[in-house]
Amino acid sequence: MEGKSLFATGLIILLLLAGAAAFAPLLAPHNPTEQNLEKDLFPPSRAHLFGTDKLGRDILGRVLYGARISLLVGLSTVAISCFLGVVLGSLSGYFGGWTDHLIMRLIDVLLAFPGILLAIAFTAVLGPSLRHVVLALCLIGWTGYARLVRGEILALREREFVHAAEALGGTPARIVCRHMVPNLLQPLLIQATFGMAGAILAEGSLSFLGLGVQPPTPSWGAMLSEGRQFLLVAPHLTAFPGLAIMLTILGLNLVGDGLRDRLEKRGK
Amino acid sequence: MKRYLSQRLLLFFPSLLGVLTLVFFFIHLVPGDPVEVMLGESASASHKEALRRELGLNEPVWMQYLGFLKGLAVGDLGRSLYHQGKVMDLVLARFPATLELTLAAMAVAILCAFSLGILAAWKHRTWVDRCALFFSLLGLAMPNFWLGPLLIIAFSIEFGFLPVSGRGGLSHLILPALTLGTAMAALLTRMIRSSLLDVIHEDYIQSARAKGLSELAVWLKHALRNSLLPVTTILGLQFGSLLAGAVITETIFTWPGIGRLTIQAIQTRDYPLVQGCVLVIAVCYLVVNLFIDILCRVIDPRISYGR
Amino acid sequence: MVKKSKQYILRAFVCLWIPLAGCLSQPQTPPGYLVVGLESSPGRLDPRYATDANSVRIGALVFNSLVRADENSRLQPDLAERWEAVDERTYLFHLRNGVTFHNGKPLTAADVKYTYDSVLDPATRSPKRGPLQTVEAVEILGRYLIRFRLTAPHAPFLENATLGIVPVGSPPVRGLEVNLIGSGPFTLEEHVPGEKVVLKSNPVYWEGPPQIAGIVFRVIPDAIVRVLEFKKGTVDFVQNDIEPDMLPWLESHTDAAVKIDQGTTFQYIGTNLDHPVLRLREVRQAIAHAVDREAVIRHLLKGLGTGATGLLSPAHWAYEPRVPQYRFDPEQAKRLLDQAGFPDPDGDGPLPRFTLSYKTTTLDLRRRIAEAFKEHLRRVGIELEVRTYEWGTFYEDIKKGNFHLYSLAWVGVTDPDIYYNLFHSDSFPPNGDNRGRYRNRETDALLERGRRSLVSAERKRIYSQVQHILARDLPYIPLWWTKNVVVMNPTIRGFIPYPDGELISLKKASFSAAKPPV
Repeated sequence: MEGKSLFATGLIILLLLAGAAAFAPLLAPHNPTEQNLEKDLFPPSRAHLFGTDKLGRDILGRVLYGARISLLVGLSTVAISCFLGVVLGSLSGYFGGWTDHLIMRLIDVLLAFPGILLAIAFTAVLGPSLRHVVLALCLIGWTGYARLVRGEILALREREFVHAAEALGGTPARIVCRHMVPNLLQPLLIQATFGMAGAILAEGSLSFLGLGVQPPTPSWGAMLSEGRQFLLVAPHLTAFPGLAIMLTILGLNLVGDGLRDRLEKRGK
Repeated sequence: MKRYLSQRLLLFFPSLLGVLTLVFFFIHLVPGDPVEVMLGESASASHKEALRRELGLNEPVWMQYLGFLKGLAVGDLGRSLYHQGKVMDLVLARFPATLELTLAAMAVAILCAFSLGILAAWKHRTWVDRCALFFSLLGLAMPNFWLGPLLIIAFSIEFGFLPVSGRGGLSHLILPALTLGTAMAALLTRMIRSSLLDVIHEDYIQSARAKGLSELAVWLKHALRNSLLPVTTILGLQFGSLLAGAVITETIFTWPGIGRLTIQAIQTRDYPLVQGCVLVIAVCYLVVNLFIDILCRVIDPRISYGR
Repeated sequence: MVKKSKQYILRAFVCLWIPLAGCLSQPQTPPGYLVVGLESSPGRLDPRYATDANSVRIGALVFNSLVRADENSRLQPDLAERWEAVDERTYLFHLRNGVTFHNGKPLTAADVKYTYDSVLDPATRSPKRGPLQTVEAVEILGRYLIRFRLTAPHAPFLENATLGIVPVGSPPVRGLEVNLIGSGPFTLEEHVPGEKVVLKSNPVYWEGPPQIAGIVFRVIPDAIVRVLEFKKGTVDFVQNDIEPDMLPWLESHTDAAVKIDQGTTFQYIGTNLDHPVLRLREVRQAIAHAVDREAVIRHLLKGLGTGATGLLSPAHWAYEPRVPQYRFDPEQAKRLLDQAGFPDPDGDGPLPRFTLSYKTTTLDLRRRIAEAFKEHLRRVGIELEVRTYEWGTFYEDIKKGNFHLYSLAWVGVTDPDIYYNLFHSDSFPPNGDNRGRYRNRETDALLERGRRSLVSAERKRIYSQVQHILARDLPYIPLWWTKNVVVMNPTIRGFIPYPDGELISLKKASFSAAKPPV
C-alpha cells in the first residue's frame, strides 16, 4: 500500500515538472530573459518568489523555462545511453569471448578519454546545439550501463532458470529480454537516476564551453554554474535550480521503485 | 579464467594505444596553437614559423603521430611545450596527490555507502530507509562546486578546525575527500540497498537462516556478497572518473592533482603534456579495471567468461 | 572473503579518521611572510620567458631591470642610474655601482649584454625576442657602461629596457625553476608550478632589505575559496582576483582593508571590418550608442570601472581626451542604423534589423556582460547571438578573423606604438594583432611616423590624431578601463597600488602588528 502511495507521489512530481516545462509561458510570472540591472540579486520576495539573478531576471521564470532544456537533455541522454548500454552490455556479457573484449576495451578507451577535449572538439566541429550536447553525453554515458549490465549478466548466465530456458531452446535475445533484463531493472534504474543528475549538470558546464544552449536561454545546469560565485552573497541563485534537479531525480526514483515492485509481482 | 586473463592482458596495450591515438588526433585537430602560447602575442610570424618547424608542428599530423609513437616506444614523452620540463616529471609530481585524493574519496564513499546501504535494507521501509534515500538523492543532486564551498564554510570557517584549501597533512584531505566521495557514496548506497533487498528472500538465504545462522551472519556472509558484484563494477567505473574527473574538486580545494594539469594542458594546447596526463590516467584506469574483473570472479565464482 | 574485506574496511576506517586528532592544524606559512592569493598560476619566472601578468609581477620582485615604470607609468632608473639616446639609433645606459646578485657576484655590463643576447638567440625561444628585433648589437663600453645599437629608429625601444637581468651564463632553465638568480629585493625560495611561489627577503638588497620576511604567492583558482581563505586569515592580500559582488560581503564579514584605484586595463568590443554590415561606420557607431556601459559598470562591475574613450587611459602621457564620444543613446543608435540602410522591419516588434554573433570566453563575468549587451542591442533592433568558448578555440577564431564581434581586454599598455600592432594594415594576423582588418591610409602613415619620432611632443601630437581617427572609425568599441581593487590584511603598511597592477611596492611593505600565527 505504502509502495503505491510513493509511486503516486513520484508520478505526481514528474507530471508537475513536465507540466511546468510544457506550460512555462503560462506559469512564469515574468519573462525569463527580461533583464533589469537595477534589480540584481534580489532575495525571494512577493514580486519575485524565487528572487532575481545578477542580471535582474526572475529566477522562478528561469527555473520553469529551464525545465524544458534540462528535462529534455536529461531524459534523452538517459534513454539513449541506457538503450545502447543494455544492448552492448548484454551482447558482451552473454556471448563473452572477443565480443566481450572488444566492447569492454572500447569502454576503457572512452572512459580514459578526457571529457573536456571531447567537448572542445564537438564545439569546434559541430557548433552549439542541444542535439550535440545529447550526442556528446551519450557517447560517454552508455559505458556505465553497459558495464553494469554485462556484470550482472555474467552472474545470471549460470543461474538455473537461464540454463532451463536455454535447454528449452530460447534464443539469446529472448532469454536476455525475458529472464535477465527484469533482474537488471533496479541497478539500471539507480544508474539512470545518477545519469540524469549528471547529464543535467554536465549540460550546464558544456554550455560554458560553447556546446549547449547559449545564453540567455536558461537551463538548470547553466543556472547552477552561473550562480555558483554568488554562493556567499545570494545562495538563492543556486538553491532553486538545485532543488528542481533534486525533485526530478526524487520523482524518477519513486516512480522507478514503484514500477519495479509491479513488475516483480507480475513475474512471481 | 586463464584464457580470459591472457586475452585480457594481451589487449592491455592495444587499448592503451587506442586511447593515446584518439587523444592525439583530437588534440591536434581542435583549433588552437601551442606556439602562440609559448611565444606570446608580440612574436613575429617568422619567429612563430621557425619555432613551429623546430618543434615539428608544421609536419602532417600523421608524421607527428609516428614521431610520438617512436618516443613512446622508448618511453620518452618529450618535454612540455609550456612548462619546458619533462612531461613525465610533471605528471608524476602530481600523481601522488591525485592518488591520495582518489583513494580517500573512495574510502569515504565505501564507508558511508556500506553502513547506510545495509542500514537501509535492514530497516527496509522505515524512517531509516527514507533518510538513506534522502541522503543519496541529496548527494546525487548536489554538484561538487556547491558541496565543496559549503563544507569549507561549515568546517573551516564556522567551526574553524580544518584548513580551507591546499594539500598538506591529513586535515587537508578530509573536505576534498568528502566532496568528491559524496556522489559516489550516494550511488553506492542505493546499489547496496537494492541488491540486498533482491536476495534477502531468495532460497539460499532462507536455507542459511534455516541452518540456524544468526540474522547478522546471514546478512553479512550471504546477502552482502551478492551486492559486491555491482558495487565493484561501479567502483571500477568510478575510479577512472575520479582520477580524471576530480577537476572541480581539485580546483575548489587547490589540490595539485592531475585533473587540473590535464585541463591546463588541453587549454594551452600543450600536446606532449596532454598525452602524458592521459597516459598515466589510462594506465591506472586499465589496471584497476583488470583487477576489478579478477575480483568479480573471486567474489562470484559462478561467473565464467566466454564459451 | 567478506570477513577479510570487513577487516580491511575497518582498518581503512581507522587509518582515515583516528590520526586526524594529531594533525588538525599545521601552519603552512613561515612567520612574518605575507601571503598573496592569486587566481591563475604564474608561468615561468625567468624574465626571458615571463609573459603572463603574474609571472611578470613576481619576477619584478626577484629581478632588476635597466629601467622600471613607476606608478604613473613613467620610466625611472633601476639598474641604470641614467641613460641617454646618443642618436635615434643608439642608447647608452650607465649602470649603478655596487649591485650584487643573490649569489654575491656583482652585476656588471657583461650580465646585461648576456641577458639581451640570450633573448635574441633563437635557440632560447624567448617570447620577448619579437619586440627586440630592432636591436642590432649590445656592446660593453665599460664595466658599468653599455650601448644598444638599433637597425632603425624605434621610439618604443626603451620599453624593452624593463627586461629583468640575469647573471652571465644562466642557461634557460628547462624544468623546475628553483635556482633562478636575480638582484632584486627577494630571492626565489621555491616554485611549485600551479601551486605556489615562495620568495624570501634579500638581506643585502642594494636599496635596503625588505621589512617583511618573505612573500608566499598561493594559487587559489576558485573565487569563493580565495575569499574564504582571506576570511580565515590564511591569505593576507588579494589584488583584482575578487568578484565585485564579494566586496560588500568582505567588508561586513572581515576586517579587510579595501583599496580601489583607477587602473589601465582596457576593455573593448572588437569588430570585424570585413563583415558586410559591420563594415559600415554608422553601424559600429550605432552599437557604441546602444550599449549601456554605465549600467553595466554600475551593476555588473559594482563601479569597478570607468567608461573608456579609447585604449590609452587618462594616466597615460599620450592620452587625448577630446575625441568623439558615444554616450548611451538608443534613439541615436536607431537613427544611425536607419541611415546605414538597415531599417527595423517591424518597428519595435521581434524581427531584428540584422543578426550578429558575439564571441567571448567562459569567464562568468564576461558571459554576463555579453548577456547584458545582447539585451541592449535587442532594444535597437540588433539580434546578438552570444557564444562562449574555451580560450584556445576562442583565440584561434579571433586570430583567423572568424568573428563578427568579440570582447577582450588589453592589459599593461605602456608605449602608444601598440597602435601599430593593432590598427596598421601591415599588422593583419599573423603579422600583428589587427584582427578586425582595419585599414586606413591616414592612420598607417601616422603610425609609421610615430614609431620613428623620438621627440615626445611630436609623438603626442601624432598619437592624439590617431586617437581621434580611431574614435571616429571605431574598429574597437571602447568599453571601460577597469579599476584595481586590493583587499588586504589591515595590518599591512606601505603598499602602493600601481595602475597596471604591479606589486613592486611590496618590497617596502610591512606588518604594523606582529602577525599572529595561523
